[in-house]
Amino acid sequence: MATAPTAPVIETPGPAVTGAGAIRPKPRSILGYWRLYLAISPFYLLFLCFGLIPVGFSLYLSFHRWDGLGHMEYAGLSQYRYLLGDAQFWHSISNTLIIWAIATLPMLFIALVAAVMLNSAVRFKSVYRFAYFLPNVTSVVAIAIIFGSIFSTNFGLVNAVLQGLGLDQIAWLNTPWGIKVAIASLMTWQWTGYNAIIFLAGLQTIPGELYEAARVDGAGPVQTFFRVTVPLMRPVILFTLVVSTVTGLQSFSEPQVLLQTTSNTSTFAGGPDNAGQTMVLYFFQQTFDNNDFGYGAAIAWGIFLIVGIFSIINWRLVQRREK
Amino acid sequence: MHLSRRGLLRAGLATTAAAALGGTTAGCSVPSGSTGRDMTLWYWTGGLSDKVVAKATSRFTDVDLKPVQIGGYFRSKLLTTMAGRAYVPDITGLKGEDMASYLPDADQFVDLRTLGADKLKDQYLTWKWEQGATPDGRLIGFPIDTGPVVHFYRADVFDKAGLPTEPADVAKEMDTWENYFAAGDRLRKKIPGAFLLIDGLAVFENVINQGTQRYVDEDRHFIGDQEHVRRAWALSLEADRRGLLSDIVSGTPDGNAALEKGLLPSQIGASWAAGDLKLNVPKTKGKWRAAAMPGGYANNGGSFLAITKTCREPEQAFEIITWLLNPDNQTRGFVDASLFPSTPASFEQKAMREPDPFFGGQVTIDVIGPAAEKIPVAYNSPYDVALGQPIKDELKNVTALGKNPDRAWRDAMNKCRRIADHLGVS
Repeated sequence: MATAPTAPVIETPGPAVTGAGAIRPKPRSILGYWRLYLAISPFYLLFLCFGLIPVGFSLYLSFHRWDGLGHMEYAGLSQYRYLLGDAQFWHSISNTLIIWAIATLPMLFIALVAAVMLNSAVRFKSVYRFAYFLPNVTSVVAIAIIFGSIFSTNFGLVNAVLQGLGLDQIAWLNTPWGIKVAIASLMTWQWTGYNAIIFLAGLQTIPGELYEAARVDGAGPVQTFFRVTVPLMRPVILFTLVVSTVTGLQSFSEPQVLLQTTSNTSTFAGGPDNAGQTMVLYFFQQTFDNNDFGYGAAIAWGIFLIVGIFSIINWRLVQRREK
Repeated sequence: MHLSRRGLLRAGLATTAAAALGGTTAGCSVPSGSTGRDMTLWYWTGGLSDKVVAKATSRFTDVDLKPVQIGGYFRSKLLTTMAGRAYVPDITGLKGEDMASYLPDADQFVDLRTLGADKLKDQYLTWKWEQGATPDGRLIGFPIDTGPVVHFYRADVFDKAGLPTEPADVAKEMDTWENYFAAGDRLRKKIPGAFLLIDGLAVFENVINQGTQRYVDEDRHFIGDQEHVRRAWALSLEADRRGLLSDIVSGTPDGNAALEKGLLPSQIGASWAAGDLKLNVPKTKGKWRAAAMPGGYANNGGSFLAITKTCREPEQAFEIITWLLNPDNQTRGFVDASLFPSTPASFEQKAMREPDPFFGGQVTIDVIGPAAEKIPVAYNSPYDVALGQPIKDELKNVTALGKNPDRAWRDAMNKCRRIADHLGVS
């Protein structure tokens, strides 16, 4: 049972497809395909305009000093040198990673459980699916305001529950760990449904025979979940992990809106001990509060590097699993 | 409508072609400012009285005045547009807190003195006028509103605590921060669960705003380690040590509940904070009063109008902004949008002297008006935001997390020195 075949989920492209016998169309020049290129061009043109050019400009900007309006002054590598020694930037990296970890691990687990439940024959299936997906399309600003209420100290829902259980109140939005948990739970709530839908799609590719076989072998629902579902879903889980990493490392609106009233008078400061200041929040603070556009650009490239490293780690993980 | 694949493709092609064409032709003829008879005016929702703006569009017929309300983060949109040198508005609002950061780039705006602004100087509050001017005297911001800080308090709670309830008496007894804290001690003793202020920043920011210097001086020297900041720091810690500060997070239901129950009966806030009180705790109507704040006079907020250098008809634009912001229209701005006037003449007008039922029928202008006229002329540096933040962050660490104050101050100063060095402040 432990070595279930992964073939139903992943289609590995075989070498036979491009074999010698395959019929090839006559080679045509690129110009011959102009209609097709024209048809796909809108995306590339827009990407060039609003993606690539700003990216290039931000690289140029990171070697300069600029207040956003006046003259740019060449600064060489000084912005990057300052970045390396900037304790608050490193602090924001650890904030981001901790929040990401507290948010993502429960999120993927709950999403998988939810997907399994959705996959089993229940009534009003589409109602549930809709309900699970709804948080993902709700405005983050609105969610953050609600979560600000839920995590408030005296009249918050969470503390009401804690008190009901005979526990002490926690000043969620006034302590470093409380802030991180509040932001993470907001992200979990928002993205669980989205991941559940992706898991559901993956689950539907698992053939029913495997479950029947497991049942015949005498496996209970928990055992089936951990021994059949989870191993077969590994590629899908890794996909959601990659997506969650990329989005989680760039979290911005969640802490910004949740902490804007507590944030030491700057909406980007992230509360006591800057505990909710994620990398992107710090980037915004430097750029738009301090008008330090050159340094902001350098931070952005620092973030790019970190997201890149984590993407490579993820990619290596996927590669190893698929071998 | 039937959508065929071919039809979709055709539509896609047409759009692409149009975009490509538009791109190439626009490339050589994007106007840097407005075109034709248009004169664009950028402001944010609530930044000007919409009624006054509407009147201006029908009054000034030599141009087509196009008012645009810009949503979201105003400053970044204005900077992007100006940096892109395309469709720059002729007239634009500049927020008070951003003013200092526009001043180094005064050449992007029209010096309003060249249009005869000096003639109008007498009609406006001096300190406000100076805020819109560069150190060498160029005037780029024309005063919209101001935010004089006063002491809002719950008369019913003060009465129960044995504190004075009449505005004049409150102002007299709580004239200094020290006396204000002493009143706070009595409040704490008589009203269980009550606090004088919400947090340390409520003391710190107001003490700083009462002064004439902030964190960086006119010669780009860091002065955040000097006496005026140390004093604000010490007063905030004093309030914390005496247990006068709550651990409530403002903006959460806790804050509003405390305001409503009278557990936060004292608010040191700008004139516009009255609007927040009316909105958030309407049930407390009639119980609030306004008095002069302890320890001096301060401003918090208030904006400007400026004419950009791309404006093709600065004289006309100047005529429009001076009309929009004359004393009569500033009074209308106060009535329509709670914009507290920068023109003292407005304070005498009937519309501003209405008794306010939320403040128990008090004529609040009698308190806010004189406060507005006594605010000191202060120097705001474009680097104040960057160099004030570490100090405020560390103050928060002391009051919210109990960090050792000496260590917090040292950490703040170390951070500031590093940032100052990076920004070219010595």
